[in-house]
Amino acid sequence: MSTLNVRVAAIEQVTPLVKHFTLMREDGQHFPTFSGGSHVVVAMDINGRTHRNAYSLMGSPDDTEAYHISVRRQEHSRGGSVFMHDNVVEGSQLQITMPVNLFSLSKMGRKHILIAGGIGITPFMSQLHDIQRNGYNYELHYAFRSLEHGAFSDQLKARCGNHAHIYVDRLGQKLDLRELLGSQPLGTHVYVCGPSSMVTAVLETARELGWPENHIHSEQFTAPPMGDAFTVQLAKSKTEITVPNDITLLEALETAGVNPDSLCRGGACGRCELDVLELDGEIFHHDHYLSDAEKASNRKIMPCVSRARCTHMLLDI
Amino acid sequence: MERGYRIRSKPNYETLMWREKASAQVVVAKGAGGLAVLQLFQQMYPTQPVTVFYVRGNGSDTDHSATLARVVGDAIKLFDSETDALYAFYRSLPDFRMGTRFYVSGTESFMWSLCKLAKLFDIQESEIMMELSNSLARPVYCVHCKGTTPDVTTNIATCSKCSRKLFVRDHFSRHLGAYMGLMVDAENPGEVPEIEEIYP
Repeated sequence: MSTLNVRVAAIEQVTPLVKHFTLMREDGQHFPTFSGGSHVVVAMDINGRTHRNAYSLMGSPDDTEAYHISVRRQEHSRGGSVFMHDNVVEGSQLQITMPVNLFSLSKMGRKHILIAGGIGITPFMSQLHDIQRNGYNYELHYAFRSLEHGAFSDQLKARCGNHAHIYVDRLGQKLDLRELLGSQPLGTHVYVCGPSSMVTAVLETARELGWPENHIHSEQFTAPPMGDAFTVQLAKSKTEITVPNDITLLEALETAGVNPDSLCRGGACGRCELDVLELDGEIFHHDHYLSDAEKASNRKIMPCVSRARCTHMLLDI
Repeated sequence: MERGYRIRSKPNYETLMWREKASAQVVVAKGAGGLAVLQLFQQMYPTQPVTVFYVRGNGSDTDHSATLARVVGDAIKLFDSETDALYAFYRSLPDFRMGTRFYVSGTESFMWSLCKLAKLFDIQESEIMMELSNSLARPVYCVHCKGTTPDVTTNIATCSKCSRKLFVRDHFSRHLGAYMGLMVDAENPGEVPEIEEIYP
């Protein structure tokens, strides 16, 4: 995996829970351009363990001087976001991957409906650059808890004018999904990023109304679920590793020096898929990638999010 | 024909079935394709708003317009020509909302002409349920002059645009909505194998 060494050039407290980080390359070179909706994975060294969290790039895809990410502090997570908030200061050094886009705009679309909840606004910040440059027809629907938590909402109102629709939960403002998705012209695509309840509601409403799958797009960066520790055997590396309760199988493999391919680290892209050769227990599949039949077969696992309860699981790596 | 060998791009069609998750249903059929529409309405008369565009059959293409008009009622729009029906379908697309489901039955030339129009509204062919009817006749795209000859029933066809003798292949372009046709006597002009009807 190719990585870039970056330095934190600036930090801005955007809301009580959200910080905006401006990253510059250590070597003074320019960053590659990217497409709206891309993310990078930031590697953090926390107490000797490497944590990797994915964050959407928020700046303009044309800005190669700096990359911009925003991080919401998640108190009950495994510490990645807390580390970014409490330990990373201006001048700190971090490693990031090259940008990857699993949430790009459909160029054939005739209209684009962007639905964001809270920190889920971040991928749309860069998508809006692509949308506005190409003159696409769009609407932005942005919902958040209370006025103080509406990150970038003033900036978005200025950038998007009457394309932007803001919903402040505390003020009783609700987004009516059936009304919104039930009245869109043919060729419309919907994109949602936000808390899982919102993503589920959008997916279910769109499907219920008869929207075809290829017009529905979603992205979620949720912390991988934790569970009990378990042990796996690696067929090619001829070794055994234990996955502690608070790190993922993928992270445990990486810590052991076995580096499977990986991209999104959220169970969406399928890159880290591993073949399960033998298993004496059960796998807890938490990904959105494998089909139900594949999950039931217990022959494959996505180590970035899925775990197991077993005494013996032989992986083909 | 070589056993066990197939061209993956050749489309397979299905039997029309209502998609129950829908905001509106739009059905387009020509001639013998009317039977597929009647079968749809035998499954049920859907609760969503329905529109049926039907091209009356003529000649060898069976006409179901009288039965369809009785079964479908006011929701049917009848046409005498394929062009008129496709034009009316295309003109109606701005009126439909996301959640509208599409169904088509007819020859491949007819169905893929409709797909090309739908694509202008970003409706991909994977979103359109298709049932082949009446004939296996193929639309054939001439790779030399880029003309498309509709409803070809033979292994070798005369290009309707450049008059070359084209060998009709199984390779299918979803973008063009047609099978590939290659000049059959390019190396030995005039040496054309026997022409047989194989797509009746």
